[in-house]
Amino acid sequence: MNLVRQIFAEATHRWVHSLLLFAALFIATALPVAFHTTGGAAKRETSRLMRDLGYNVRILPKDAELTSYWAQGFADGALPEAAVQRFTTADDLSYNHLLAMLAGRVEFRDVSVLLTGLTAEVAPQTKKKGSMIFEVEPGTVHLGHAISEGVGAGDQIELGGLQLKVAATLSEAGTIDDTRAWVHLSDAQQILGMPAVVNEIQALECYCADAGVDNLERLRAELETIVPEGQVLRMDAAAEVRERQRRLSEEYFELLLPWILAACAGVVALLTAINVRERRAEIGILRALGHGSGRIASLFLLKAACLGIDAAIAGFAAGSWLALEYGPAVFPVTAGKITVEWNLLTYAVIGLPLFAAFSALPSTLAAIMQDPAATLREEGP
Amino acid sequence: MIRARSIEHTWRDASAEVRCLRGLDLELEAGEFCCLRGVSGSGKTTLLLALGGMLRPSGGTVQIGSEDLYSLSSGARARARAQQVGFVFQMFHLVPYLSARDNLLAVRSDLSRQEREARADELLESVGLQHRADHRPAALSAGERQRVAVCRALFNKPTLILADEPTGNLDPDSAEVVLDLLTQYTAGGGAVLMATHSQTPESRASRTLWLRDGTLHTS
Repeated sequence: MNLVRQIFAEATHRWVHSLLLFAALFIATALPVAFHTTGGAAKRETSRLMRDLGYNVRILPKDAELTSYWAQGFADGALPEAAVQRFTTADDLSYNHLLAMLAGRVEFRDVSVLLTGLTAEVAPQTKKKGSMIFEVEPGTVHLGHAISEGVGAGDQIELGGLQLKVAATLSEAGTIDDTRAWVHLSDAQQILGMPAVVNEIQALECYCADAGVDNLERLRAELETIVPEGQVLRMDAAAEVRERQRRLSEEYFELLLPWILAACAGVVALLTAINVRERRAEIGILRALGHGSGRIASLFLLKAACLGIDAAIAGFAAGSWLALEYGPAVFPVTAGKITVEWNLLTYAVIGLPLFAAFSALPSTLAAIMQDPAATLREEGP
Repeated sequence: MIRARSIEHTWRDASAEVRCLRGLDLELEAGEFCCLRGVSGSGKTTLLLALGGMLRPSGGTVQIGSEDLYSLSSGARARARAQQVGFVFQMFHLVPYLSARDNLLAVRSDLSRQEREARADELLESVGLQHRADHRPAALSAGERQRVAVCRALFNKPTLILADEPTGNLDPDSAEVVLDLLTQYTAGGGAVLMATHSQTPESRASRTLWLRDGTLHTS
C-alpha cells in the first residue's frame, strides 16, 4: 500500500492527535516568523528611540579646558573643519552621525546667546543613515525657545553683524539648546572670525562592542588614529542606556526563540510517543506482514514531516499576518518597514519537516526496537 | 515444507525465567492441517511466532522450504515472512484506520499495483465481502473481520498459515466459515498450523498435536 496514503489515512483517523501535532508545529513556525518579521522593526525602533536621546559623544580640541567648556557652553581651541571628513573613509568605527560645530558667545538683544554653526552630518561610508538634526541653510538661523520671543519664521535678524533670515523657532528643549542660535557653519565662522575650523564634533557612539569592553578606551583609541588633535567625552548615562537597550532587544529574541522551539519539540516528541504507544499492535502486525524497520520508521517520521510541511505554510501565513496586523501598533515609528519576508517561507518549508522528524526520532526508534512478538503474544490464547 | 528442530525458548524478565519450549521438533507437509492444543501459557503462541520468524528462539532452527529463517538477516527474514507465512490472530489485528481492501493491500508484496488490487478484490469476493471492501474494521462484524484477516494471510499465497485461536472470538457459524477458508487453503497445497482451545477444528485437522512441558505430543 502506498506509504503516503497510509500516513494520510492514519492521520485522519487519529485526527485529534494529528491536530495537536500540527498545532505544535504551527506554533513552532508562526511565532518565530512573527518575531523575525517584526524583529527588524524592533531593532530599528529601538535604534530610533535611542538615537532620539541625542548625541552621546563629543570630540573637543585636545587643549580645551573641560571646566571652561562646561561653564561657557563651548570649547576653547579649534579643530580643522576637515577633521570630520576623515571619519567618512574609516572602517569599523564606533562613531556615527558626526556633526561638526563651531560655537561661541554673541550678543542678541542684549543677551548672551550661544551661536552654533552646523554643517550636514557625516557618517562612515558603511553606516550612512538619516540625519539626527535639522540642517541649516547659509544665511538662515534657527532660534532656541528662550531667545525667540517676538520673532517668527521669515523675520530678518542681525546676529554678530550678519543679517540672517529666521528659518524656524524651536520648541522648548529644557536644555542649553534653548539659548542657542543655530546657523550654518560658514556663517558662524564668519561671525566668530574663525575660518575653516570647528571647536566641537558631536557623534553617536554606535553599539558594536561586546559586554565588558571599556567603551571609553575604545573610543579614545579610535580617535587617536583619526583625529589625534582631539579629545573625546562620552556622555556615559545616555550611552549606557542606549547600549543596554539595544542589547536587551537583541537578547530578548535570542533567548525566547530557543525556548519556544524546545517546547514545541518536546510536545512533538510526546505526541509521537503517545502515537507509538497506541499503535503497538499495528507495528507488530505490520512486522508480521513482512514490513521492515524502514517502513515502520517512515510511518512516524513521514507523518511528522508531512504535517511539518503543512504547518510550515500555515505557520508562515499566520506569523506574517500577526506581524503585519499587530506589528505596526507595537512599533509605530518603523511600521512601514514591516513586510512579509518570503525567504522565511523557504526556510520554514525545508526546516520544519526536518525539525518535526528530528523531534519524532526518539519515539520512532522506540517503535522500531519494539519487540513485535511481545505485542502479539499479549493477546494470544 | 516446514521443519523445526530442537526449538527451545526461555522467557526472561527481572524476576523469573520461564522455559516454555524445550527442544521441540516439528515437521509440516504441504496440504497438512494441524491443530495445536495445550493449556493457557503452555507456549502455543510462542511456538507460532518462532515458526513464523517473528521471535528468534533461544535455540534450534526453523526451516521453511530451503531457507533457514534465523540464519537470514532481519530484512531477508521479513521478506521471507511476507512471501511464505500468513498469520491469523484471535483478535484479528486489522489496521483500524484502513478499509478491508486496504488491509489486504498493506501486505508486503512484489506484485504490481494493479495485480495487488486485483488480488485483493478477488480474495474479498471469494469470502463474500466485496460489498464491504471500503469499510473499516470498526464497521465489520467479528466474523467479517476474521474473514478479512484470513484473506490478508492468503494474499501472497504463502506456504504456511499460522493461526492463533482464529475462531476464539467468533460465533459458531462464523467459525465454520473461517475453518472452511483454511481447509480450502490446505486443499490447494498450503499448510496450516492452528493453535486452539476448541475441539471443533479437530474434525478438519489431519492431525492434532499437544504442547505440554515445552514439547509436542500426539495425544
